[in-house]
Amino acid sequence: MRTSARNYYLVPYVAWIALFVVAPIVLIVYYSFQDIEGNWSLGNYAHFFTPVYMRMTLSSFWYALLITFFSLLIAYPTAFLLTRAKHKQLWLLLIILPSWVNLLLKAYAFIGLFGTYGAANAFLEAVGIGRQQILFTDFSFVFVSVYIFIPFMLLPVFNSLEELNPSLVQAARDLGASPWTTFRRVVFPLTIGGVKSGCQAVFIPALSLFMITRLIAGNRVITLGTAIEQHFLVTQDWGMGATIAVFLVIVMAVIMVVTGQRRKGARG
Amino acid sequence: MTSQPIIRFDNVTMQYDGDDAVLSDVSFEIEPGKFYTLLGPSGCGKTTILRLIAGFIQPSKGDIYLNGQRINGVPANKRQVNTVFQDYALFPHLNVYENVAFGLRVKKLKQAVIDEKVKEALRFVNLTGYENREIREMSGGQRQRVAIARAIVNEPEVLLLDEPLSALDLKLRTEMQSELRELQRRLGITFIFVTHDQEEALAMSDEIFVLNKGRIEQSGTPTDIYDEPINRFVADFIGESNILPGVMIRDYYVEFAGRSFDCMDGGFHPNEQVEVVIRPEDLEITAAGAGKLQIRVDSQLFRGVHYEITGHDESGNRWLVHSTRKVRVGEEIGLDFDPEAIHIMRFGETEEEFDKRIEAFTEVGDEN
Amino acid sequence: MSRTSKGKWAWSNLYLIAVFVVLYAPILYLVYYSFNSGGTMHGYDGFTLEWYGEVFSDTRLLIIVLNTFVIALFSSAISTALGVVGALAIHKVRSLRAKNALLSFNNVLIVNPDVVIGASFLILFTIVGLKLGFGSVLISHIAFSVPIVVLMVLPKLQEMNPALIDAARDLGANGWDVLSKVVLPFIKPGIFAGFFMALTYSLDDFAVTFFVTGNGFSTLSVEIYSRARQGVSLSINALSTLLFLFTIALVIGYYLINRRGGRIVEAGARP
Repeated sequence: MRTSARNYYLVPYVAWIALFVVAPIVLIVYYSFQDIEGNWSLGNYAHFFTPVYMRMTLSSFWYALLITFFSLLIAYPTAFLLTRAKHKQLWLLLIILPSWVNLLLKAYAFIGLFGTYGAANAFLEAVGIGRQQILFTDFSFVFVSVYIFIPFMLLPVFNSLEELNPSLVQAARDLGASPWTTFRRVVFPLTIGGVKSGCQAVFIPALSLFMITRLIAGNRVITLGTAIEQHFLVTQDWGMGATIAVFLVIVMAVIMVVTGQRRKGARG
Repeated sequence: MTSQPIIRFDNVTMQYDGDDAVLSDVSFEIEPGKFYTLLGPSGCGKTTILRLIAGFIQPSKGDIYLNGQRINGVPANKRQVNTVFQDYALFPHLNVYENVAFGLRVKKLKQAVIDEKVKEALRFVNLTGYENREIREMSGGQRQRVAIARAIVNEPEVLLLDEPLSALDLKLRTEMQSELRELQRRLGITFIFVTHDQEEALAMSDEIFVLNKGRIEQSGTPTDIYDEPINRFVADFIGESNILPGVMIRDYYVEFAGRSFDCMDGGFHPNEQVEVVIRPEDLEITAAGAGKLQIRVDSQLFRGVHYEITGHDESGNRWLVHSTRKVRVGEEIGLDFDPEAIHIMRFGETEEEFDKRIEAFTEVGDEN
Repeated sequence: MSRTSKGKWAWSNLYLIAVFVVLYAPILYLVYYSFNSGGTMHGYDGFTLEWYGEVFSDTRLLIIVLNTFVIALFSSAISTALGVVGALAIHKVRSLRAKNALLSFNNVLIVNPDVVIGASFLILFTIVGLKLGFGSVLISHIAFSVPIVVLMVLPKLQEMNPALIDAARDLGANGWDVLSKVVLPFIKPGIFAGFFMALTYSLDDFAVTFFVTGNGFSTLSVEIYSRARQGVSLSINALSTLLFLFTIALVIGYYLINRRGGRIVEAGARP
């Protein structure tokens, strides 16, 4: 027999898991079955499946999809070019650096930039388009969100591109593939894992944004995150808030399982 | 005079849950001050024996004794044995000096003592002046020496070496072989060396244990094992050989390849089916028609010191010949060999039975 | 480098520079207007340090800054310790299934939306009866930083040749010696990376803190949020500039430590 020394390290770690991973989720589920008076009820779920919440859920998903899509659209070429750049580690650091600046400050900056007299409007006026209402629109919401999420998409894609064996690209070229075919048939399929984890890293948080909706979208966009915040901190209807949270947790789990399994399959 | 064995294995079995035994019912004794080699293909259990001695694992069954004391259950850090690991396992965050000093530091020796011992150990492996080097600045051969210094500085009674030369290139490996052998003589302690390289084993050892599938197939001095392999596995694994089916017509008289030959082995039943081993370097090429056997040459490779020639005889047996004489492919040649070159192996004979037969047979021979 | 033509090279650099400019524009915009005597984020009237003066005379804000740093330092120190223990625990588990299960649990707090974490912690603290404030924020930050530290330390542990532990045991080291003289020094870069990540996560967190902060206590993120909702105030710009400089210092520190430990560990902030 192998000497199986007791794994004492597990004690504090499992305690942490029990207290801060398992217990909160159990409590969320518990609260989702409580009405506002503290009685057991399925009312919250019934309420969740009414058109009001369904519409909100759909628009949440729609915005999250848009944000994920545009993040990928900008981040993939950036990552691709980065892997080919000289001093790529420095470039990477420079691109990540803004993500380390407090999120609130960046959102706040956009209030100024997109404001009626802000730089964006000054530019539009100079170009001849004229002043527009930018702040508190869907556009500004998506723009700012993409801005904030780009590093989350960029890093996994960059890493998967870095892991790509360059001789595979050379092999494809050697076998007569054009650059575009090489990209489509070799590079992209091999970096799909990074794309997936990037999408995962953007989509889930994008579903549950609430700060940006309040500051930038001016409550025009109500996401599931905003609704949870509203229920917990404003209307004090914890049961309804918990119900939406349960829904988000389930969505998250589904996304994790799906992307996780696919990645395993792709490797095998 | 046989002194008390320094290590003794008593029917040791090693088995991980549910799997086949890695080591089954192994017993042996190791005498102090000798160079031992555990030789076998990968997965034969040689490293398991080493890890059992070191104390990294504990046997499922059986007992292990160190200096007559049963040491089952004694953890690795409480055993007077040290190991040189396959990839050296030098601590990357410590320099040469601190690597060598590690064992002394955990024993909380005084700095002055540590200093002296580390210097001494480094001198022993010719690394004086390298104290402050980082491990990553050292070459493969130098790392090897640091690993040895780190082990011997603790003055172990037994030094375990787990394929320590496998990462080195051929030239360095040959150099280190003689260096290790020399080191063992100077230190006078027991070395147990694990390798899958039979040439290495033959060159370095006082005693070799040939292992296969968790059992010791044969043990003995390099010449014993080379000249008298007890079965096909050993004959095949150690050196190159021609192994042919044969019939022992009577003692000292064997038939193979369609002919009968005098030989030096006895103790068989009349007309017993046996296997015949002839080493390729024991075959001498003669002109066609001369010699004891005729073969046709199929291929020839120049190996530097000799030509490696393959051919086949009339009965279809394949022959491997090492010769300094050049032949032509397709040519018919004769092969000559002495009765001493023929070694007979009994089917399914264990080492114990082999020894017993040789002993009984030698006694009979003496009486005659 | 396989650049077929000069034109391609120029275009690719142009694209990178464009992305780069867009990423930095808001930050530089903030910095620029922090020196604006005009009092708004448009129409630069003239240079002033007035807003910096305002920041340094705003005791409430300074206390909040202090709170934020105290929380960040304590939470990252404690979560680093817990995370290292967690990584060691996961590393020691032999069964692959148990290991994967532990890792999945570990990752829940990383992929779980912040709002959900915040809301569920709020419920937890309310049920337990913990008063919302410094304690609840500190505990939350520790809780959500632990898994990041685990993820930073675990690869280092896996990178470590298991023979090193055998070697240490072989040389007479007991369990504590092995941990303190071999394992911890080896995974040190991972521990530092974990600590820095925990620090930035804590400094950056808004959503979770917002839920569990209660009334009397505030961190910078929460404070900026409530001030930003009231409109533009250039003292926030001044504060941003200071924080940006601090962040750069932090990143340089992190970069230097990481360069010693090898390649840059992938890092990002929380939304």
